[in-house]
Amino acid sequence: MADNLERAASLAISDLSIHFGGLKAVDNLSFTVYEKEIFGLIGPNGAGKTTVFNCITQFYKPNAGSVKFLANTGETVELVGRPVHTIIKLGLVRTFQNVEVIKELPLIDNVLIGAHTSFKASVFEQALTLPRARREERRFREKAMNALDILGISDRANMLAGGQPYGVLKRVELARAIVSDPKLIILDEPAAGLNESETETLSHTIKLLRDQIGCTILLVEHDMGLVMGICDRICAISFGKFLACGSPSEIQKNKLVQEAYLGEQQGGDD
Amino acid sequence: MDLTQAAGNPVYRFYKNPNVRFMFFGALLCLVPYLKDIGVFNAGMLITIGGAIIYSVAALGLNLLLGFAGLISLGVAGFVGLGAYATAYFTKDLGLAFWVAALGAIALATLIGLLVGLVSLRVSGLYLAIATLCVSEILLKTFESFDSITGGMTGKRAAYPTILGTTLTREGTYIMLVIVLVLLMMLTRNLVKGSFGRALHAMRGSEVAAQAMGVNLLKYRLLAFALSTAYAALAGALYVTFIRSSYPTTWTITLSLNILAVVVIGGFRSIYGTILGSFVAFIVPDLILKKLPVIGDVPGLAYIFNGVMIIIVIMFYPAGLIKLFSDARGLALRLVSGKARKAVN
Ligand SMILES: Nc1ncnc2c1ncn2[C@@H]1O[C@H](COP(=O)(O)OP(=O)(O)OP(=O)(O)O)[C@@H](O)[C@H]1O
Ligand SMILES: [Mg+2]
Repeated sequence: MADNLERAASLAISDLSIHFGGLKAVDNLSFTVYEKEIFGLIGPNGAGKTTVFNCITQFYKPNAGSVKFLANTGETVELVGRPVHTIIKLGLVRTFQNVEVIKELPLIDNVLIGAHTSFKASVFEQALTLPRARREERRFREKAMNALDILGISDRANMLAGGQPYGVLKRVELARAIVSDPKLIILDEPAAGLNESETETLSHTIKLLRDQIGCTILLVEHDMGLVMGICDRICAISFGKFLACGSPSEIQKNKLVQEAYLGEQQGGDD
Repeated sequence: MDLTQAAGNPVYRFYKNPNVRFMFFGALLCLVPYLKDIGVFNAGMLITIGGAIIYSVAALGLNLLLGFAGLISLGVAGFVGLGAYATAYFTKDLGLAFWVAALGAIALATLIGLLVGLVSLRVSGLYLAIATLCVSEILLKTFESFDSITGGMTGKRAAYPTILGTTLTREGTYIMLVIVLVLLMMLTRNLVKGSFGRALHAMRGSEVAAQAMGVNLLKYRLLAFALSTAYAALAGALYVTFIRSSYPTTWTITLSLNILAVVVIGGFRSIYGTILGSFVAFIVPDLILKKLPVIGDVPGLAYIFNGVMIIIVIMFYPAGLIKLFSDARGLALRLVSGKARKAVN
């Protein structure tokens, strides 16, 4: 834990609550993700993990609490209350539990959407393909190609996303996240629907994003093998409430966590 | 031919350049008046084909909105009409030059289009269709009632455009229509290939992904509506200067539905498809079906034809008739390469 004190907090969630009608989906939750950390958020189905992500990225407006983020400007900013589309500009990008890609676009253009806020040319400049528009298009296309390369799918760059296997689309989402130059990437079940070897590759990719690109990673995942294998620290929640936070081995030993998972994980991953 | 070699060949690159192709396409359309001169066409046909070109302009705008942004509008006719009346008023009553009048008409319509865009932030799908239809009907009523500006039911007259001091002939005006269409095809292609186009795609394909990637839905919805209205108003300006008159009966829901048919029949998100759709929807009934015995006398023939075409296309060719071309090319290539393989064996 000592080295955490030296690191700056990338994301600090405090007393976060949101309810839908009578259901407290997230209940007074607090945790902190430090810079360059791979941090896991776990919990049984319906625990509120995706809801936490939606509260961070402002798709949902939390009823209470704060979400502080160390933005790419070097300042720590409050995310709550900001319009959804402004979040990515601060250096925070997310993927979705159910892949959200544009079927009618080639993979490369799907990835380019991740660079949307980096384009400075106006609609007018684009319509006339003035030099700046052309330059940007060329530059970011190259960058998107590199991202596809990192994920090992650059050979499919010009194929339409519709009809691509699920594993490829998951990687497209990841590539799309990378081209936004994020400081923090939030992954909602990146391994869902992947086979064993794909999951293996994914864990390498996530480590690579942290070690070589220098991103902080916050991920939700049910694949305990993956979570325990790559996370520096883990926070467990159940019914929207905080259970425990600590290293993978601490979490595995924790009685509350074991109880929450009892019945769900019987005979499952260790 | 070795394709890798061909890709570096300047002639091949020129031939592959989309703008060159648009211009070539335009040059072909410019031949139509000469076909009239040698007796293949008559003057009426020139007007029909010019009309199809004009409606392609409006349909390109609708395709941006519907095909790319996924937003519906059943109010296109109202905005084409607005462009027509405003241009007629600006040229005839205020004595402005055609291009100034057209720009003014576009600006006016775009402003109203932006207001409709604001509505689209609140409602979507069926409700948006109804809302845009209402706007169009309000515009139509305005055309009927504001006699002093629109001429009411007796219609409004306009003249062929005067450009650089010379008044164009009917054929000259037709050539101008083609030039505007080609420029717009280029502009539209540039727009949809860039980050603007991708933002529209994202909005249609996944609103949540669009927002997460920083697409401001407010901004892009308004832009999509503004652009499609500008296209519609430009079509109106072209219409009134080519046809030289405008009557309220032209700008009804029937026209809006026909322009919607153009997009569906031709192909969503296809530029050539839009033009093809417009030629099918506006030329085939007039120049071919009307000449047939018995069928030709059926009232509302164009309407029935477009309706049937929509159903056929949706059922069997959801990508639009433009797909026929790429399918035919694929088939031809397969046949040729099949033959080649046999020859080698
Ligand atoms: N927009 C919403 N309206 C109403 N209830 C919601 C909404 N979003 C989430 N919930 C509820 O909040 C609870 C938490 O859901 P959430 O999707 O966050 O769970 P999760 O931990 O991501 O589950 P899973 O592991 O299955 O993805 C669930 O009971 C869900 O039904
Ligand atoms: Mg979830």
